Amino acid sequence: MTSVSIQLLQALTQELSGIPARPGDLAIAATQLGPQLDGLARLDDLELLAVEPATILVPSSRAPHAA
Amino acid sequence: MPPDNLTRLSIAEAGDLLRRRALSPVELTRAYLDRIRRLDPDLLAYITVLPDEALAAATAVEQEIARGQYRGPLHGIPIALKDLVMTRGVRTTCGSRILRDWVPDADATVARRLADAGAILLGKLNMHEFAYGPTGVNPHYGTCRNPWDRHRIAGGSSSGSGVAVAAELAAGALGTDTGGSVRIPAALCGIVGLKPTYGRVSRAGVIPLAWSLDHVGPMTRTVTDAALLLQVLAGRDPADPTTSAVPVPDYRRALQGEVRGLRLGLPKDLFFERVDPEVRIAVQAAARSLEGLGAVVEEIPLPKIHHAGPASFAIIASEAMAYHEPYLRARAEEYGEDVRARLTTGQFVLAHQYLKAQRARQVIRAEVDAALTRVDALLTPTTPVPAPRLDERELTVEGVTEDARWWLIRCTRPINLTGHPALSVPCGLTAAGLPIGLQLVGRLFDEATLLRLGHAFQAVSPARDLRPPLNS
Repeated sequence: MTSVSIQLLQALTQELSGIPARPGDLAIAATQLGPQLDGLARLDDLELLAVEPATILVPSSRAPHAA
Repeated sequence: MPPDNLTRLSIAEAGDLLRRRALSPVELTRAYLDRIRRLDPDLLAYITVLPDEALAAATAVEQEIARGQYRGPLHGIPIALKDLVMTRGVRTTCGSRILRDWVPDADATVARRLADAGAILLGKLNMHEFAYGPTGVNPHYGTCRNPWDRHRIAGGSSSGSGVAVAAELAAGALGTDTGGSVRIPAALCGIVGLKPTYGRVSRAGVIPLAWSLDHVGPMTRTVTDAALLLQVLAGRDPADPTTSAVPVPDYRRALQGEVRGLRLGLPKDLFFERVDPEVRIAVQAAARSLEGLGAVVEEIPLPKIHHAGPASFAIIASEAMAYHEPYLRARAEEYGEDVRARLTTGQFVLAHQYLKAQRARQVIRAEVDAALTRVDALLTPTTPVPAPRLDERELTVEGVTEDARWWLIRCTRPINLTGHPALSVPCGLTAAGLPIGLQLVGRLFDEATLLRLGHAFQAVSPARDLRPPLNS
């Protein structure tokens, strides 16, 4: 399982996002992120090369909006 | 009729009496307010109760009906709203300390539609803070107690909605559902919960958790009542560009359709893996009941559905973080610990991972769409476990131990990702007396078939007349 260090998250939050975070919250985030990153990597199994992202404004290809 | 008998009436039953002037809306509203006063200090379903406003509205309704101005089956029906639905002049806390004193100056579209239909607002309902959690644990307003066992969670995030309807503290309620937050408390509290198709019901004026996953839906004691509420809620709303112009059918009429010949798919992938034995038995029995009504049940593969979990995580974490960023910068200490930690996690999901998740979503949705060309609906457990105890952080099923929250959302959140409609209907009780929910998933914008199936099942279900053991 991917391991994420609290120190890395601390650096990211301080230097990139600028959102203050508590050490306890970062510890929980590190625990949650590991398995999720593995799962996100496995999304490549779905062969997404030709797939465009879903967008919020188009809920379904079968759901035409009113004129 | 004694007051506690009045609150047992379904919306359809009470509506019929109100229409015929055989029941006073003031009498009905008083019965609910009296029950709230007696039971809610223990159950904590409500954050805000509106006794004066509700009685004033009931008096006005009584006069309208007396003048022959009957608006329809919700006219005079006491309902309540999850406290993230904006209500003009009534505080809308979202279950948070941050919005403790926020009073909107406009109604959400769904609140306005219910008011226009003549429904009477009893109050605003407790919930998981900012809807970000499936347990209903709330450090600011207290944690809702499950009316079937006060030592267990009600499920969330629409915990107050589940408790209020199950305990007859409202005739019906609205919840919202981003990963199961209508269906989970419905299952755990033994009531009906409907997550409509994404785009079927307006989200305008509903505080978001994750814009592309959020749905608003009815929570009721019967499937008929869910149909009555959906009839008023559904349809295009110019204030919400994600709502669809797909025509809204007559849902009540749809209840009367045939079940015979409908095809139901049991997706063994994910939904029936590692399920509490009592839940499995109850859901399989429900499938046999529907077979007995003439439905055809078959197993159906959904191998890609396993990817729904991480895709859902990336989307909800990113969208929730984007919404909450200003509050996290300025008022982080006002969040409860669990929600703040989950929000914090969202800042570490990278943009390309979010987009990968939105691309995976298309593939997973296509797989479910394809399955629903073979069958008319999918049939699954709503939750693979019954209500956990308040102090249970992890649960073990079939030798696998996981966080209780992940068990709760496992069968529901894939359907937020795909946007299909999903209905949870009670299908039994465990030996310990805890409700079990059956989930039916339908084609996009085909809520009518789900309601028909749910209504037919409820008519023959052993769980149809069950009420929680409340001492009053």
